[in-house]
Amino acid sequence: MKNLLNYRFIFLLLVSIFLFSSSFQNLNAQNAKKNKVRLKADYVKIMNEEVYFNIRATSRIGKKNTNVSNIDVTVYNEFDDDKVELGTITTDMKGSSKFVVKDFNSLKADSTNTYNILISFKGNEEFSKASKRITFRNANIEAKLITKDSINYITAKLLDASKDSLISDASLTVQVQRLFQPLFIGDEFNITDEYGTISVPIEKGIPGIDGNLNIEVVLDAHDDFGTVKAIVIAPIGTPIIDESTFDKRTMWSPRNKTPIFLLIFPNLIIFGMWGLIVYLIYNLFKISKHKNIKI
Amino acid sequence: MNNYNIILNDLVPKKFGKRGTIWTIFLIVIIVVGLIAYIDQVNKGQVVTNMRDYALWGIYISNFVFFVATSFVGSVTVAILRLTNNTWRTPLVRIAEIISLAAIVMAGLTIMIDMARPDRLLNLFIYARLQSPITWDVIIVPTSIALSFLLLYFPLLPDLAILKKHFKKTKPKYSKWYGKLSLNWTGSKKQKSIQEKSIKIIALMIIPVGILLQTIDAWLFSTTYRIGWDSTNMGAYFISGAFVAGVGALVTVVYIIRRVRKLENYITDYHFDKIGKLLVLACLIYFYFNINEYLIPIFTAPVQEDIHLNALISGEYAPIFWFSQIVGLILPIIILLFKKGRKPFPMFIVGLMVVVGSWWKRYVIVTPTLLHPFLPIEGVPESWHHYFPSMHEWLITAATLAMASLIITIMVRYLPVVPIQRTADELDLLKTDKITES
Repeated sequence: MKNLLNYRFIFLLLVSIFLFSSSFQNLNAQNAKKNKVRLKADYVKIMNEEVYFNIRATSRIGKKNTNVSNIDVTVYNEFDDDKVELGTITTDMKGSSKFVVKDFNSLKADSTNTYNILISFKGNEEFSKASKRITFRNANIEAKLITKDSINYITAKLLDASKDSLISDASLTVQVQRLFQPLFIGDEFNITDEYGTISVPIEKGIPGIDGNLNIEVVLDAHDDFGTVKAIVIAPIGTPIIDESTFDKRTMWSPRNKTPIFLLIFPNLIIFGMWGLIVYLIYNLFKISKHKNIKI
Repeated sequence: MNNYNIILNDLVPKKFGKRGTIWTIFLIVIIVVGLIAYIDQVNKGQVVTNMRDYALWGIYISNFVFFVATSFVGSVTVAILRLTNNTWRTPLVRIAEIISLAAIVMAGLTIMIDMARPDRLLNLFIYARLQSPITWDVIIVPTSIALSFLLLYFPLLPDLAILKKHFKKTKPKYSKWYGKLSLNWTGSKKQKSIQEKSIKIIALMIIPVGILLQTIDAWLFSTTYRIGWDSTNMGAYFISGAFVAGVGALVTVVYIIRRVRKLENYITDYHFDKIGKLLVLACLIYFYFNINEYLIPIFTAPVQEDIHLNALISGEYAPIFWFSQIVGLILPIIILLFKKGRKPFPMFIVGLMVVVGSWWKRYVIVTPTLLHPFLPIEGVPESWHHYFPSMHEWLITAATLAMASLIITIMVRYLPVVPIQRTADELDLLKTDKITES
């Protein structure tokens, strides 16, 4: 009887410890300090194509900058004490997201023709709320290809769209689109003149698919106008000759495209050897059949 | 008792004593433990090993290469010595054939152990690409198994018939089995002619097959364009390495069998001296290839290969590298160059050194290269930068080595390790020669 009581007591004690410790844990969880999220955003306009915001979320955790993935950020257009929600987007594994503006004309600027965009994160269990405000003015680049004295030039004009005025003293970059890194053309900085234009000669012999070069004129991360890009498809490149061995018989082709020599010689060796092995096994059979003839 | 009966009595398989039984049980225990580890590996996947994205070939492949190399002993001792009419080979060939068969069978099994999904084994044949060295390996290993088996079996036929007769009264059950396996061998002229012709064909075939096997094994590495493997030397380097591993294994096993089965009258100091000379020749050739393989790149290596060489010579792998070079190659050469070093016991020690050195040499060939890729290893856990086998890998590898030893043990138990008929024939021949001389 005494033992039984002891067991009950121990059981109750263990249950109490368990309950106490779990409630203690909860308390700790509630008091845990949330990490701060840092939001970064850039405005990018590609002429005649799209306008988007590159958004990136990071956090300093344990003295290390960490990408904050899978959080929802909301984008607002602010004007005249008003705020219109443009949409929400979730960050990817790298903490990045690209918010494409469906209709740029629906965005409203303030009285100074400046667009105000608020990017906001509401916060969650792990991270506290954060926001980032960016401003920009609408600029356009008009780029075209011209040929003068057998030399090809890319000319571009930079305009302030709100005022319909030219922008001088701005640095534009001219580059050819490439898979990993763009191929820069001309000087490092091409400064727009008083007419807001630049003119950059394009050297001959730049390879392009079917002879087409996708030449970009870029106003990169400008304080007032953000990033603006115009793309000109110029049929002035050297056509890339496709040297693919995709449909040929090579050592790296699939098995239905095995080189002929590799089909012939190894198979000759294989069948030759296994032919002899079969012959040897047949010899074993022959030995077993010749038991009665003894010398 | 006449001479033939003495030979017969000495050479027929005998029941194991206490030591033999303990040895067999020991091997079975290791195999069972390894089997349990393997079942666990199949269930949980290769996450139980320490192989990861970079070190994707670990000791399983090192072990596979070791078995393939050891199997070369069949080609060397049996075929080459036979074709060059070296009569001293007689008491050694059967043991060499047994080692060869055991090693190549285990090589085939080891490669399956390395497969994360052994149930997909058939896909290797169904979806084979002749461009792939893996396919060449898949073809050559079964070919070698078949040929090694025939190389062992054909010369065994007369001995099996002798054993059938010998055990007829004392052990009729054994006699029945030996009778079946002897394929009604009576020693008729026709049977002898077929047998001799077949052995000749096998002896001729086993050399190119052995060379192909070793070369394909080398090409598995050298066709991958990796640092440390990208060498035109690799095929010849592997053949010479296999020569060393195979003869080393032969010396070790011959010594043990000679001692256990008390065959001192058949496997004499003379045989050890001869095989010692063969081994030192093999070691010298392999040493030459090692100089080519490691010394020249020291002068010419680009940055990445230099890092790899430094890891071998003075870095992480230096202890294993120098162990395999010094203990597995240089010391055996020095010992074997002296006549006293070619006595049975020193030869046994040398054989052990060579076998252990050869095993670690394969580890040095396989693993460090994988951990020195062209692009830096980034964005992976720290442990992936290094490789040392997990307990599962050790247990399974130990089991494969035990299984090879068990195959040899079982064959030693039930087959005459020294050819009875041939030994008797040779002694008769000696007698005839003496009569002729007198």
